[in-house]
Amino acid sequence: MLSIRNLKVTVAGKQVLNGLNLDVKAGEVHAIMGPNGSGKSTLAQVLAGRDGYEVTAGTVTYQDRDLLALAPEERAREGVFLAFQYPVEIPGVNNVYLLKAGLNAIRKHRGEAEVDAFEFLTLVREKMQLMQMNESFLNRAVNEGFSGGEKKRNEILQMAILEPTLALLDETDSGLDIDALRVVSNGVNSLRRADRAIVMVTHYQRLLDYIQPDHVHVLTGGRIVMSGDKSLALELEKRGYDWVKEDSAAA
Amino acid sequence: MRDENQLHAAVVELVALENAQIKYSTVQNWYPGDENGRGGIYNFVTKRGECRGANSRISWTQVETGSAITWKYPSCILTGDNSVGEFYSVAVANNYQQADTGTKMIHIGRNTRSTIVSKGISAGHGQNSYRGLVKILPSAVDARNYTQCDSLLMGAQCGAHTFPYMEVRTPTAIVEHEATTSKIGDDQLFYCLSRGISSEDAVNMIVNGFCKAVFKELPMEFAVEAQNLLAVSLEGSVG
Repeated sequence: MLSIRNLKVTVAGKQVLNGLNLDVKAGEVHAIMGPNGSGKSTLAQVLAGRDGYEVTAGTVTYQDRDLLALAPEERAREGVFLAFQYPVEIPGVNNVYLLKAGLNAIRKHRGEAEVDAFEFLTLVREKMQLMQMNESFLNRAVNEGFSGGEKKRNEILQMAILEPTLALLDETDSGLDIDALRVVSNGVNSLRRADRAIVMVTHYQRLLDYIQPDHVHVLTGGRIVMSGDKSLALELEKRGYDWVKEDSAAA
Repeated sequence: MRDENQLHAAVVELVALENAQIKYSTVQNWYPGDENGRGGIYNFVTKRGECRGANSRISWTQVETGSAITWKYPSCILTGDNSVGEFYSVAVANNYQQADTGTKMIHIGRNTRSTIVSKGISAGHGQNSYRGLVKILPSAVDARNYTQCDSLLMGAQCGAHTFPYMEVRTPTAIVEHEATTSKIGDDQLFYCLSRGISSEDAVNMIVNGFCKAVFKELPMEFAVEAQNLLAVSLEGSVG
């Protein structure tokens, strides 16, 4: 589904990704781990199409298309979803309204009719229950006055409703207490499907206790230096990122 | 296109007697001139109101999207005890438009209250100014004023200016002023885009959200009109 080859990215003249390779197949869950500043979030942002990141080399192929050639909104309509590390507040814009506008844009792109208002509300209520969010959320502005946990739940709620093909979760576990982490993880787990891939970027192994990845990659110095299964994350937890750095330096 | 300027000079005076309420809503979209600032209406307007009777109320609501230059400061003289003055404004300045607007709230009666909510949106080379006077005379015991003055900037060439004046001569008065200036955030925009929403729709959504506190004061049919006008006025101003 997703194939990244030799991706090099600079941000404000500074090299952040330096020849990154990654292959993700439908149905898989990948965890990308790495120390602060290793380029994890940059990868997520570049895949979603954020401005300010300059791709200097490499290719990203998503469903046999050149992902980098698409505008961010086109990527979203093609099924790419980014759950933000820091979801933004948009005062005065109703949460549900934004969600509905997004869903309709995606449906229109697929040649489907706009969603019926009542059906949509039923769908939102159902998914809100999954994320253990209360009714008041329906009338609030996008992320305005939300706690850290509420913002992250809201991201996964959006994912549940927009039903992406490729979901990128950027540090979705950061700032969550253990209860919120469980709710968010349950939400993500319920969205695992054979035709959907999930790539999660995280600093800590903790998240992987709740969402079990098929593949774990270690990103450091702008490239993936080690890949393995879930046990790699445990190893990392025990030995720290320095171990990988030394190891890859030796290799 | 017309490249000379035309003048619109209107005078509106309101008087509210005891227990009377007046709500005066305007949505203005005169010709703003072309994208280089040639032509357009000079919209120089005098609007003033007096809450003469006790418990009276005057509420000015305006959405100013047109005209090359707008000078307009609807005011309320709060003579009657317990009277209320309100001013809700959205002003848009795109291309080379200048929107210079604001209000005067003059508190004379006891326990008078006033609310000012001003939202200025600047794009292109547009310049928005808010001028406000809140004057509380010694007779206005327990007077209250709340002012909120927000500016939204789109692009690097536009400007927002605020000139709030307050003259308070009553020790029991409570006067509050809040002001914010924000740039239409790349973060907000990208967030909307990443949900599949086009940049044009995203800008409309963010700007309308910004104006919500004023739009909800408008009669229903005006509110719809105002939203659409805003979309037209700001067409193509981002990305």
